[in-house]
Amino acid sequence: MKMHSNQPGSIQLVLLAYWATFLLGCDVQETFPSRPITLICPWAAGGGTDRVSRMTAVHLEMELGVPVNVINATGGRGVTGHSHGLHAPPDGYTVLMGTVELNTMHWSGLTELTPVDATPLLSINEDSAALIVRTDAPWQTLGELEAEIRGKPKQLTCSGTATGGIWHLALAGWLLSMGMEADDITFVSESGAGPSLRELISGGLDMVCCSLPEAGTLMKAGQVRSLGLMAPRRVKDYPDVETFVEQGHDWSMGAWRGLLIPQDAPADVTDVLVTAIQRMVTGQTQVSGKTFAESMQIEGFNNAWRPPDDFRRFMNENDAKFGELLSTDAMRSVNADRYHPMAFPGMIMAVAIVLLVGVVIQTRLQETSTASLPPALEGERPDVNVANFALFVFAIAAFPLSGDRVGFVIFAAVMLIVTFRWLGCRWWTSALIAVVLSPLVYHTFAHILRVPLPRGVLGW
Amino acid sequence: MHEVMWDAVLLVCEPRTLAIIAISAAYGIFVGSIPGLTATMATALIVPLTFYLSDVEAVAAIVTTVTCSIFAGDIPATLVRIPGTPASAAYAADAYALTQQGLAQRALTTSLTFSTLGGLFGVLVLAVAAPQLATVATHFTSYEYFWLYVLGLTCAAIVSDEARLKGALALMIGIQLSTVGLGTDYSVPRLTFGVDELITGINFIPAMIGLFGVSEIFRNVLTMRRDRPSAGPLAPVPRAEAAATGGSDFPSVMAFTGRRIPQLLRSSTIGSLVGMLPGAGADIAAWISYAVSKRFSKRPEGYGSGSLEGLADATGANNAALGSAWIPALVFGIPGDSITAIAIGVLLMKNITPGPDIFDAGKHPEQAVLVGSIFVTFVLANLLLIPIGLAAIRTGSMLIRIPRRILLPAIMLFCIVGSYAMYGSYFDVWVMLAMGLLGFVLEKYGVPLGPVVLGIILGSQVEHTFIQCITKSSSLAAFFASPLSIGLGLIGVALWLGPAILSLARRNDGGDRQ
Repeated sequence: MKMHSNQPGSIQLVLLAYWATFLLGCDVQETFPSRPITLICPWAAGGGTDRVSRMTAVHLEMELGVPVNVINATGGRGVTGHSHGLHAPPDGYTVLMGTVELNTMHWSGLTELTPVDATPLLSINEDSAALIVRTDAPWQTLGELEAEIRGKPKQLTCSGTATGGIWHLALAGWLLSMGMEADDITFVSESGAGPSLRELISGGLDMVCCSLPEAGTLMKAGQVRSLGLMAPRRVKDYPDVETFVEQGHDWSMGAWRGLLIPQDAPADVTDVLVTAIQRMVTGQTQVSGKTFAESMQIEGFNNAWRPPDDFRRFMNENDAKFGELLSTDAMRSVNADRYHPMAFPGMIMAVAIVLLVGVVIQTRLQETSTASLPPALEGERPDVNVANFALFVFAIAAFPLSGDRVGFVIFAAVMLIVTFRWLGCRWWTSALIAVVLSPLVYHTFAHILRVPLPRGVLGW
Repeated sequence: MHEVMWDAVLLVCEPRTLAIIAISAAYGIFVGSIPGLTATMATALIVPLTFYLSDVEAVAAIVTTVTCSIFAGDIPATLVRIPGTPASAAYAADAYALTQQGLAQRALTTSLTFSTLGGLFGVLVLAVAAPQLATVATHFTSYEYFWLYVLGLTCAAIVSDEARLKGALALMIGIQLSTVGLGTDYSVPRLTFGVDELITGINFIPAMIGLFGVSEIFRNVLTMRRDRPSAGPLAPVPRAEAAATGGSDFPSVMAFTGRRIPQLLRSSTIGSLVGMLPGAGADIAAWISYAVSKRFSKRPEGYGSGSLEGLADATGANNAALGSAWIPALVFGIPGDSITAIAIGVLLMKNITPGPDIFDAGKHPEQAVLVGSIFVTFVLANLLLIPIGLAAIRTGSMLIRIPRRILLPAIMLFCIVGSYAMYGSYFDVWVMLAMGLLGFVLEKYGVPLGPVVLGIILGSQVEHTFIQCITKSSSLAAFFASPLSIGLGLIGVALWLGPAILSLARRNDGGDRQ
């Protein structure tokens, strides 16, 4: 260690070595799995998919012997999470809890992703859509509701998910199958079944279309009831809920959830994961005395396990079915937005511009009235050091640029040494702090908090 | 009821449960004080562990973690102006200004005291009035929510008093940023300019770290020079005062607290009411309470530049909101925020079914005891917060003694990790950098940053409820169809126009007299 070198040359040397490591980037061979696995859930914490994901994670963790962390990558009607999961490196360390939206999104032009981009591991569960109304609603049967809609179309409101989401498709499909128009019930876009049910019981909606487990608590509390289930037969946990078919409406639709990894995953990795998941669903693992199946049962989720080949076939059949449904003109209108997407942002932009003009005028007026006050805050501008500024901007930018190749620990150490030295710390202080702090932060996040940070050449 | 509570106390006071509460408290403080790791994340991270715990232990672990991490968010907000959790954003400017005046210890001790008292108030509301209040919450439809969000945003804009135009501008910038991407309701991405990652929108965690933390780092390094020892500590260290009171400002804070009991009740009430509305939560509670505090303060001019009063009222409110967030969750199974959403998942795993009769000891004896243990844990967690929080304050306050040239790069490292960690996304680091630059520029022109953050957090909610409302009925009258929405709307309008009308009236008065 050079103790007294003060020339900026030494910093450049460190940087040179850093970028050399970046270009080197080699992979360390290891048996799968040897580090934490990320399970991506495309929907928000607390929802049905999140609950299933978290249960899966604990059981898989037990089976695989490495941490399995759930990350909720939400937004964009499910596009975010699905592309996150399927565009990840196909090394098995990123697993996706895929949902039925993988079958629908691409038909609606939301994304390029289709089931072909995924390697199926195992389907986990399947829930049918159900129509939920308040307990005090005037309709006792589906027929009574139908009569009301035919009598006064476009008066009632329904929600359950975002516009074009699976529960919306289920509702619109039912209306179309009965020879009515898809918007004879006004669909109000919501971010999920939970908020929709909240709106239902506060009287803001007339009905909600979602799965029975999602409405289970409110049904048991006597706040809401179901008019019918869009499934071929009744389900075990809700024996009193009649199906649409029983009430003379030949319509069924449901949503599935299943584990997927990116398309090009190597066979040995896929095998390890499939075996582990199969052992999980067949009750080989127990967490707090319960098997996976028992936990699913308690929360009212309907199990639907399919091995990879069946899962692939199932997804393809589903895809064809949705393709047919979503290509009809009537369904296209379902996906159309009621108000222009830029309506709200445009309003805000207009207000912002008006305010900006106002602020500028106000500042001008103040300037002319109070002669010349220094514009900077707290008069703090003796000599401005732009080089410092640039270095710090560059130091932040270096992480996304090089993190995957060199890994977090090397990045952190180099970044710290360079910035410490630049600001005038001694060599040994800089090196000591950097060498202690970088692995400490990595260990804290990756192992104690289980937030994976990038691993690089050192596997660190 | 009394027997149930007694059973609950006995349950919680088992040595193993107490040990779990203590560990969770330390863990909550730790996670909450790292910028970028929110209370929600802290809860989500312990869920897998709760499967190995008994039901009481699991509930205790979650409750304690949340209580402690929401307070801990104040620590980095005060010391380095990076809110540890979004709930601290409302008063980050005040808390940091106090640090720069050498009053970091006092600011944090005040925050700790009021957090604890607000938290205890929240539990009281939860224990006494949950079923009744839950009924009120069920009257909130999208129209009422729309007005509530408008009210929250209004509060953020009007607190920047002398520069209200700039505050409003900051708010609009924040809302505009929130509309980037698909939004909840649209299948067409907006304002992404072809950047794929923007389709999912701008995450507020990296945005917040960038706006508050990175911009402050930039501002600092811009005036530092390596050949000059100007790189001293971030803030003056109050040696004389620290020596006199043994490092903590406990006596003076206690006196201050004693004087502010009425305001404490006010802010805790606001916190409890806002917290129990699903989807509102601790963040909005802090803002509204801060604005109300300023309206009624005798020294409103100090707000924004180191007001202990504003800090105390806002931090009391966000902790009070935590307890009442459980009300709709327990009574209807509808979580009040993402934390209770996770907690509900755990409760279901433990065979507890939320419902109006969840407190009814006659119907569900075991369940009622467990619910009682939630209350007991809340109280215990808030009491435990004092010693653990004081220790954390001691440790944290050492930060400001570190020379800036060491502290700034280290803080930057934490900013980078904090924004990366939430979604494991490099793009979020770019967002943080961009927001850092934006924050730097805005501050240079005296535009407040708090409203920008609130705009990002609430913007999409406002748009979403607005679109919902106009989908249901295209007539404007629908926005004022219920007494509740009329009330909320009027308060919002009054807050916006009130000061203008007042000053107009004053000016007219003056004119008459002349």
